[in-house]
Amino acid sequence: MNDNKYGLSADRQLTRWLIYLVLFALAGFYLLPLWGAVTTSLKTQEEVDMTNPLSFPRAITGDAYVEAFDFLKRPLLNSLLITLGGTLGSVGLASMCGYVLSKFRFKFDNLIFLLITVGIFLPFQAILIPLFQTIRGLGLYDTLFGLILAHVAYGIPMCTLMFRAFYGELPTSLVNQAMTDGSGPWRTYWRIVLPSTKIAMVTVVIFQFTSIWNELLFGLVIGGPRAMPATVALNSLTGTLAAQWNVQMAGSVWVGLPVLVLYIVLGRYLIRGYMAGSVTAT
Amino acid sequence: MSVLNRITAFLQRHPFIVLILPIGLVGYFVYGGLLWNLWVSVSDWAGLRPSYSFGGFSQYAKLLSDPVFWVSLKNTLLLFSMIPICIVLGTLIAMALDQGLRGSTIFRNLYLLPFALSFVVTGTIWAWMYNPSNGIINTALRAIGLGSLQGLWHTSQSTVMASIIGALVWQFSGYTALIMLGGIRSVPEVQIRAAMLEGASKLRIYRRVILPQLKAPMATAVVIIMMYALRSFDFIWVLTGGGPGYASHTLPIMMYKETFQATQFAYGSAISAVLLGMVLLVVVPYVYRTYRR
Repeated sequence: MNDNKYGLSADRQLTRWLIYLVLFALAGFYLLPLWGAVTTSLKTQEEVDMTNPLSFPRAITGDAYVEAFDFLKRPLLNSLLITLGGTLGSVGLASMCGYVLSKFRFKFDNLIFLLITVGIFLPFQAILIPLFQTIRGLGLYDTLFGLILAHVAYGIPMCTLMFRAFYGELPTSLVNQAMTDGSGPWRTYWRIVLPSTKIAMVTVVIFQFTSIWNELLFGLVIGGPRAMPATVALNSLTGTLAAQWNVQMAGSVWVGLPVLVLYIVLGRYLIRGYMAGSVTAT
Repeated sequence: MSVLNRITAFLQRHPFIVLILPIGLVGYFVYGGLLWNLWVSVSDWAGLRPSYSFGGFSQYAKLLSDPVFWVSLKNTLLLFSMIPICIVLGTLIAMALDQGLRGSTIFRNLYLLPFALSFVVTGTIWAWMYNPSNGIINTALRAIGLGSLQGLWHTSQSTVMASIIGALVWQFSGYTALIMLGGIRSVPEVQIRAAMLEGASKLRIYRRVILPQLKAPMATAVVIIMMYALRSFDFIWVLTGGGPGYASHTLPIMMYKETFQATQFAYGSAISAVLLGMVLLVVVPYVYRTYRR
């Protein structure tokens, strides 16, 4: 308010620089561990033992990446398939749920919505034994399909919540118009709702993709040696190579890479997803 | 062909029948699972073979006299101490990001990056950070002449919980900042303009106009972090496995070890029933308030 016409007052200029200083310091705080992981992963074991963990490698080597990849390649492929299957299933089913629950009124509709979305808060430990028994009973222990099934079932609540919120923003008149023109609810969904909510779809897909990719517990409990996802494998890599920090950090980079790439390329959708996930309180 | 026609005709008349699949999945895996698990906790299931006859409440009695349970409960509640830290830090960061400075969005995205990564990845990285011999923390302390503060961090019984909480603040505070920033942005601009016209300083506007309106996002952040704390497994499992000894056991860690390593299924389900009760204590009031409208 008290800026003079030549620009900011000296006082405000100073505040600006102080805030920038804080912002840069915070960036250091959040990024330093990640930077340390990357530099360590590019060093030889001898250099890791001798040098500062944050220093740039003297001779960059990809050996640790090769070694970690050798250990992680099958689990990484498993994770990719589990994540794709789990995302496709949960997003597809939840999208239909969210559509019906946001655009149609029927008996107990709010109760159904409540019962589905309360599943978001479920502590997985409280269903772990039944899940384990069910998956084993179905003969799906240590199979990709068993893990996909678990991720579909437990992904539906969050995805339904997000879709219902996004479809709620779509004008109901648009849907009603299509319905009175004689196209049924699912034709309307396919021809009108889905094409006009592409961003919502991208948001939920990215959100769900990263959640499934990052998950550990299900993989530990219902994935054995063959269907082992990359998170479980990274954890056992840590156990077997206790002192080889460069390989462990390279493994972390391998497992973190898909999410990192998504975050860099489509980060704003992921952040939108985080926001949507947190606005249950409005 | 006529079968297909009849299916199509049936679906035309009952368009929402397709919802049976998702609702059935949630019904079975969430609600069926919860009831099944509660039953296991009072069953006589001992050993590897499932057994579902009533076995009384002995598992719960055993729990109350198990010192590991009390350690795990204490540690689970101890994780709540990251809530005020994350809220204060997150609010301050949100205020700094709200100054309309160039590059604010980039900074926000950088701060949020740790939250996007898997707990397995961050847990592995923090094991390296805290590694006593040449990890980043101890090396940095030596470098700035504070070598006497070097510690064993996650490998010592006395500092393991603090180490876990510190790393989790790193991972969650960016997310808290995002939630708080959303709250600050949704304060009606008219109110801020009015306060500015009355000559209120920026700090005063924050204190008097903006912060009092941040109750809803704050409640959201508290519930989300609490839910995390109550379900905390991945990060701790990777960083410490619940050790050294039992020093970083939380209820989810104890449940996993008792069930899948010691194969005490009935005991494990009793632990998770307690956990479920604690989650309900947090969630029911929150959901009630949220959905009442």
